[in-house]
Amino acid sequence: MRIDGVAVAGVGMVRFARYPDRSTAVLARDAGLAALHDAGITLAEVDEAFVGYLQPATMLGVKAMKELGLTGLPVTHVEAASATGLVTFREAAWAVASGRAEVAMAIAFDKMSDMARGGRGSRGTGRDELDSTILPAAYFALWAQRRMHDHGTTPAHFAAIAAKSWNHGALNPLSNRQPDHTVTVEEVLASRVVAEPLTAMMACPADDGAACAIVASTEWVRRHQPDRRLVRPIASALQSETYAPGHTFLGPVVGPASMTATTARLAYEDAGVGPADIHLALCHDAFANEELEYYELLGFCAVGEGEKLLEAGETALGGRIPFNTDGGLIARGHPGGPTGLAMVHEIVVQLRGEAGARQVDGARRGLAHLVGGGSVCTVNLFEAD
Amino acid sequence: MGRVAIEDGYFTIPDDPSERPRLLGSRCPACGEHFFPRRLVCARCLHEGTDDVLLGPGGRLHTWTYVRVPLFAKKDGSVGAYGVGQVDLPEGPRVQAILVGGPDDFEIGMALELDLETLRTDDTGDEVVIFRFRPETP
Repeated sequence: MRIDGVAVAGVGMVRFARYPDRSTAVLARDAGLAALHDAGITLAEVDEAFVGYLQPATMLGVKAMKELGLTGLPVTHVEAASATGLVTFREAAWAVASGRAEVAMAIAFDKMSDMARGGRGSRGTGRDELDSTILPAAYFALWAQRRMHDHGTTPAHFAAIAAKSWNHGALNPLSNRQPDHTVTVEEVLASRVVAEPLTAMMACPADDGAACAIVASTEWVRRHQPDRRLVRPIASALQSETYAPGHTFLGPVVGPASMTATTARLAYEDAGVGPADIHLALCHDAFANEELEYYELLGFCAVGEGEKLLEAGETALGGRIPFNTDGGLIARGHPGGPTGLAMVHEIVVQLRGEAGARQVDGARRGLAHLVGGGSVCTVNLFEAD
Repeated sequence: MGRVAIEDGYFTIPDDPSERPRLLGSRCPACGEHFFPRRLVCARCLHEGTDDVLLGPGGRLHTWTYVRVPLFAKKDGSVGAYGVGQVDLPEGPRVQAILVGGPDDFEIGMALELDLETLRTDDTGDEVVIFRFRPETP
């Protein structure tokens, strides 16, 4: 869907980490307040809110919103697994684009550290139990093994991507992982094997956090923030799985990798731009080998050319199309619901030119991509004046 | 005491232990596409109503991994590491399942056969079993 007449008014987030002593409502409050402060408003000026989380509990979203105020605004819950944050943003942007809201909030929170400890009990019984045999790490390792078979990729390629993300994280004060030294390929390869060929340092942490983005009509943002560079969402594509022969129904964490190519094509068509017009990209790198696949599926190189793009340094800061400039899921973190809104945060900061040591020079357009279990895929494009 | 499936409708449990188990699938009478697990509506042509068929019992390994840190749902309570694969059945469906064997036993393209594994014994003394694939015995 093309998005016209909408701009980002504010972003805020709580650094992803482990917060055993803070409730999700408090995490959400702090992210929400940060975004409201960034927008220069209070909840009184927000017409509608979309709240996302994966926690196995109902009503959490409406309850968390009360920490920011009780203004009677409509609050809608959104859940799309790992893609939740970006889908809350899509809904908020659409609420403004449709004219029913002038200012809308997308907010999400989660404590993945709790969910990871939940074990089998949190994953259902019967078919659900059969369906959850395979861990996310194992599932994406299946992609990695097949990639090595088809393209001669080596574990060192995956390690190079992970090291890049850790080192990007070191430049981001809001990254969970902030290594005090330059992380090397050797170090990543030497960490313990999770599911062959993936090692622990190639995987995202199970952390907690919250993030928020406020969108408003372009006129509203220009009027309230005349001195700030305007950042607008220009397209949002969301897809569920499309059947093709050989489809795997039981067990996969997400659908076929081709979902990303299909969804990206929709977003590019809707926005009237192509991969060559994008200056930075954030993708679902829960495991490092995913990023390699997405170089190709998002259209930044031909199939089978991802390794070359990586080896040439084109996807690191300073390259042609830097990926996961904030550290990505691997370093910045992946609590679940808020992950997509942390991506929006990074793209907005980059397109405003306020990213400091990790600033992408001249960045005018950014891409945010997530896949989510179930499964779904979303690709969102942003543009600055 | 007998053997019962962890969930009905996914695989057969032969009374004769020497007989090989089969996966329970569907075939669309309109377009001929096969599915695992069983489903009512054809995912290819959306025809409503499919025929029950037996699938496999063999297949080819499409991809695999060996999980050393099982964080979430663990099927083998006592086992710390296990193989996982995607297996292409001759009828078309690709099935994701636990693999029997160690990390040196698997190779993409190899022939596999369906097998049953006992997970636990339930309150009535029945063995609760789940399906898995193992490298084909020559």
